[in-house]
Amino acid sequence: MAETVLMRNFGRADSHTLASYRGAGGYAAWDKAQTTEPAALVDEVKKSNLRGLGGAGFPTGMKWSFIPKSHTGPVYLVVNADEGEPGTFKDRYLLERDPHALVEGMLITARAIRSALGFVYIRGEYVQPWRRFSAAVKEAYDAGLLGRGFDIVVHRGAGAYICGEETGLLSSLEGKKGWPKIKPPFPAIKGAFGQPTIVNNVETLCCVPPIIERGAAWFAGLGTKTQGGTRMYSVSGRVKQPGVYEASVSITLRQLIERAGGVSGTGRLKAVVPGGGSAAILTADEIDVVMDVDGCRGAGTMIGSAGVIVMDESVSIPEALLVLARFYAHESCGQCTPCRESTGWIEKMVHRIVEGHGRKDDLDTILDVAKRGGGTTICAFYDGAIGPYISYVEKFRGEFEALCRS
Amino acid sequence: MPKVTIDGKEIEVEAGANLIEAARRLGIEIPHYCYHPGLSIAGQCRLCMVDIDKAPRPTIACNTLAADGMVVHTETDRVKETRRSIMEFHLINHPLDCPVCDQAGECWLQIYYMKHGLYDPRMTDEKVHKPKAVPLGPHVMLDAERCILCSRCVRFCDEITGTGELGIFSRGDRSEIGLFPGQDLENNYSGNVVDICPVGALTDRDFRFQVRVWYLDTTKSICPGCARGCNIDVHVNRKRPHHAGGRRVARLKPRFNDAVNAWWICDVGRYGFGSVDDESRIRFARQRGQDLTRDDALGLVIAALRDHAPDEIAILASADLANEDLFALRRLAEHRGIRQVAFRVPPATPAADDDFLLRADRHPNSRGAEIIGLDGDAAAILARCRAGSIKVLWVIGHDITAAGWPARDVADALEHVGSIIYTGTNDNGTSALATLVLPLAAWVERDGTFTNFLGRVQRFRAAVEPLGDALAGWDLFGRVLGALGGPVAGGRAELWFRELARTVPAFDGLSYQSIGDGGAMLAGAAPTTAPEPPARRANAAASVAEVSR
Amino acid sequence: MSNGAPPTSSRPPTERAGLAAPATIKFSPEQLAEVRRLQGLYPDARGALLPVLHMAQDTFGYLSLEAEAYVAGLFGLSPAHVHEVVTFYTLYFQQPKGRHVVGVCHNLSCHLAGAQDILRHFEARLGIARGETTDDGRVTLQAVECLCACEAAPMAQVDDRYEMQLTPEKIDRILDGLR
Ligand SMILES: Cc1cc2nc3c(=O)[nH]c(=O)nc-3n(C[C@H](O)[C@H](O)[C@H](O)COP(=O)(O)O)c2cc1C
Ligand code: SF4
Ligand code: SF4
Ligand code: SF4
Ligand code: FES
Ligand code: FES
Repeated sequence: MAETVLMRNFGRADSHTLASYRGAGGYAAWDKAQTTEPAALVDEVKKSNLRGLGGAGFPTGMKWSFIPKSHTGPVYLVVNADEGEPGTFKDRYLLERDPHALVEGMLITARAIRSALGFVYIRGEYVQPWRRFSAAVKEAYDAGLLGRGFDIVVHRGAGAYICGEETGLLSSLEGKKGWPKIKPPFPAIKGAFGQPTIVNNVETLCCVPPIIERGAAWFAGLGTKTQGGTRMYSVSGRVKQPGVYEASVSITLRQLIERAGGVSGTGRLKAVVPGGGSAAILTADEIDVVMDVDGCRGAGTMIGSAGVIVMDESVSIPEALLVLARFYAHESCGQCTPCRESTGWIEKMVHRIVEGHGRKDDLDTILDVAKRGGGTTICAFYDGAIGPYISYVEKFRGEFEALCRS
Repeated sequence: MPKVTIDGKEIEVEAGANLIEAARRLGIEIPHYCYHPGLSIAGQCRLCMVDIDKAPRPTIACNTLAADGMVVHTETDRVKETRRSIMEFHLINHPLDCPVCDQAGECWLQIYYMKHGLYDPRMTDEKVHKPKAVPLGPHVMLDAERCILCSRCVRFCDEITGTGELGIFSRGDRSEIGLFPGQDLENNYSGNVVDICPVGALTDRDFRFQVRVWYLDTTKSICPGCARGCNIDVHVNRKRPHHAGGRRVARLKPRFNDAVNAWWICDVGRYGFGSVDDESRIRFARQRGQDLTRDDALGLVIAALRDHAPDEIAILASADLANEDLFALRRLAEHRGIRQVAFRVPPATPAADDDFLLRADRHPNSRGAEIIGLDGDAAAILARCRAGSIKVLWVIGHDITAAGWPARDVADALEHVGSIIYTGTNDNGTSALATLVLPLAAWVERDGTFTNFLGRVQRFRAAVEPLGDALAGWDLFGRVLGALGGPVAGGRAELWFRELARTVPAFDGLSYQSIGDGGAMLAGAAPTTAPEPPARRANAAASVAEVSR
Repeated sequence: MSNGAPPTSSRPPTERAGLAAPATIKFSPEQLAEVRRLQGLYPDARGALLPVLHMAQDTFGYLSLEAEAYVAGLFGLSPAHVHEVVTFYTLYFQQPKGRHVVGVCHNLSCHLAGAQDILRHFEARLGIARGETTDDGRVTLQAVECLCACEAAPMAQVDDRYEMQLTPEKIDRILDGLR
């Protein structure tokens, strides 16, 4: 049985309250951290092999260490709670069921990076999670946990997937459209309001208290060689028991599907998206992949946000791609040319194919356009979009061709 | 100072220069749309990709600072392929209405497509449609379908004027440039967005559909609109005048000069050249409404100056005249001993400086007139006219009937003057009352120099022929001077300038060569720089406030 | 920054105003105080723009051009910059919306669970197409992207609430509850 770290409190009565959290030993890690040097906290997180759980999988401790040592002005901690990746719902659970874990994770992180002000950017649609988390913040203020050297501002988004991208999020936090910023400079050098900023995902920061409390070695040991810990896999689509499952990052996709009750619908697996809508699709033969950052990379896809979407034999892959192509055309921020222009174009082509007016050379055009645009854009949104564009067409070309005129 | 190697050539550039600028120094052009040296880096068009040694894939040059030892390649196969792809992305939703687009011929979509595009079009789906021919204000017309969303115009209004009228609304391929509904683009610098728009999305309402740009000729010049002396190019239509109803000057464009106006000019100056080709131009001399030959008219001027005592003659010169003209006039006054010479006639409604380039003094050469020594007391001259002691009043360029003097005083004065000579480019209230009228060539019709309010002497050049019998000021005054036996410098503006430099200490050492295209400072004047744009000043003030808080 | 109170940014989009925009676009003195408090939470007051636009939408029903210009004034911003923001985000309405807003997710997991049928059922029951508002101003129906409750597909957001595992019967019950 895999260890339950992130979801340890979900089963408790009133798990979202301070009393319940304290009752389960909450804020002990913060007590410990307060007597630990910031640099030692960063080191501990480095050693834990914690890698960002928001999408990019960047080593968390290393990211923290990028804050310029010479900087004397403010440093901000920004929590990415703009969960929007299709197929992902873990942060919603954390905000609703264990908000104090995030507050505690923020307190420790703020100490590590010497930040006095944190922002939690919650997607606008998440009204209940926003209420729950705001209530937890109020409790933490009342209990004197916050307001003594560290403050939290809870910020609501207004509906835009791109604000999950960390610099789009920062633009939005600054009161602008969610246009991602060109890099360099990176946020750790010049982020929110022009100051050094660390952006971390909700789940990433919820890993921090257990790491500090139980030690980096323990956490690292839960995972694989290059990534420590467990993580929360969101499993949806054609499985018998969709839901969020915590497991060691060493779990395979096959095991995960089994834990979610196995394939529903026809019961025969056709394909799986392993890491949210923007991950390249895997065929039924490819599910022995280890669900950590490097495992998925090795399989030509990405673990991303660990949103697993399962498709059985009856699912139309071209229709599924149309859903995603429409999504990317709708959500492209429009700032840079390759993404702005080709997300719309590709949606039109896929639409035409699904409607039965496609030509076989459209498929080559889709692949060519996606490949040419890859790596040329301001942010990784477009590299995410081409994951499905390319993999769906390449791996299921026959299915697309069957819809095309010759 | 970092040293970089671009396409095998090494160059040292100042710290902070990006790769586009570094390459430009080497004569290598990295194609780009959104980058503009006067604006912040946006990195949106993605066209400026280059290969940098050790980088896994092409990188944008505009957001990459030249770093010591960096090795850059602008023409690898990979870069060329990337550019071709980016060009295709730029064009898939473009309406391709070049035949009816004013930008055709100077459009960077056309230019780069020919150089870096040239692919087989394969977008067969319906293009995104957006508004066309939307007036954004008095001067600018928008075609949103042609817009490549480079955001230059938006950044201009945010970072230069600080007026923030333009925005990019919505998102994805529905993104659209525009104004807040109901608002106009009405700042005094609005014409600049047309210049910086790389495509035909923003066009000039005044220039629209006049003439194809490939029929235009360009001449380096100086704006005569105010004492700033912004550097400009005059675009004239010599080849197809019938296309524009005989209008010769098609448009004025800013010419970069970091010491004066940087990349910008104001709308007052940009659209202020209408009088050059309009009905009110004086083409031939006339006496009481009857046309005269030039020689007859000059003869009358010569006689008037010769036959009156110097203290019966007054001259109201103009700071619209070039340094050369003013110097010839000074010579003439000195030769005849005329001491009542002034140039400052107060305007009826005083203008104001704006917050950037435009000066309250709407004459290009007040500083020159002052230094050349024509700075007499105009009000005193008016008073002496009223007292009946002036017999010949020579008015150059001014309309004293519409000046900031009481109308009764002016009428009274003119009644008492025996002969009023008017010399200027255009008719006005004063020319209507004058006994003798002689035409002057407009600034675009002759060579010369102006001295701006900070003491920068700058050259402008003839772009078109003078109309009718019009002469440049130095020529007209020189002919009169010669006839009266005075020392004439010669038959070219440059010769008068040489004489000026020899005579007036502030001009010592200056020559047309040393002034060049960028201008040169008067002796003793401090070097100038273009003023900080209002938006930058506001930001700087805000951050100072921030620090002191 | 340590003002003790939990600095949450805005009120949820409950108690929506009716269809018609109020004749005068103006916050109450208490709301103006709230605007100033929000602006004070951010290192640059502009950070409070999204929360204040939420407030304006809750107060005025939707973000008319007048409301945008009013908010621009509160921040010393050009109205064009507020318009950029309002037109960028899907939760801001530029037209009057219904008293209730139903956003049916049609992204991948919900699609696999029959989101199109769910949308069609809403359309049939309300007599409107997605993107429209019923004539009586009761409901605005939208198709929206992943709401990140894919484990409960097909699902929809109804005002503040997530309605999970939708069926035609459940939809009927939900709609009956919307006044
Ligand atoms: C298009 C796009 C959408 C993203 N959406 C999210 C998101 O919803 N939540 C998130 O935490 N990270 C998201 N990310 C990743 C963030 O950019 C960033 O890497 C992350 O917040 C960093 O936190 P971590 O290191 O803790 O993962 C997204 C990235 C991209 C390119
Ligand atoms: S890649 Fe797409 S989402 Fe990212 S900045 Fe460019 S247009 Fe916007
Ligand atoms: S109108 Fe011209 S300058 Fe403005 S964004 Fe479009 S292409 Fe660029
Ligand atoms: S500021 Fe003066 S010189 Fe410059 S363009 Fe305007 S009028 Fe001409
Ligand atoms: S010029 Fe570099 S991205 Fe546009
Ligand atoms: S796909 Fe509908 S909630 Fe995620």
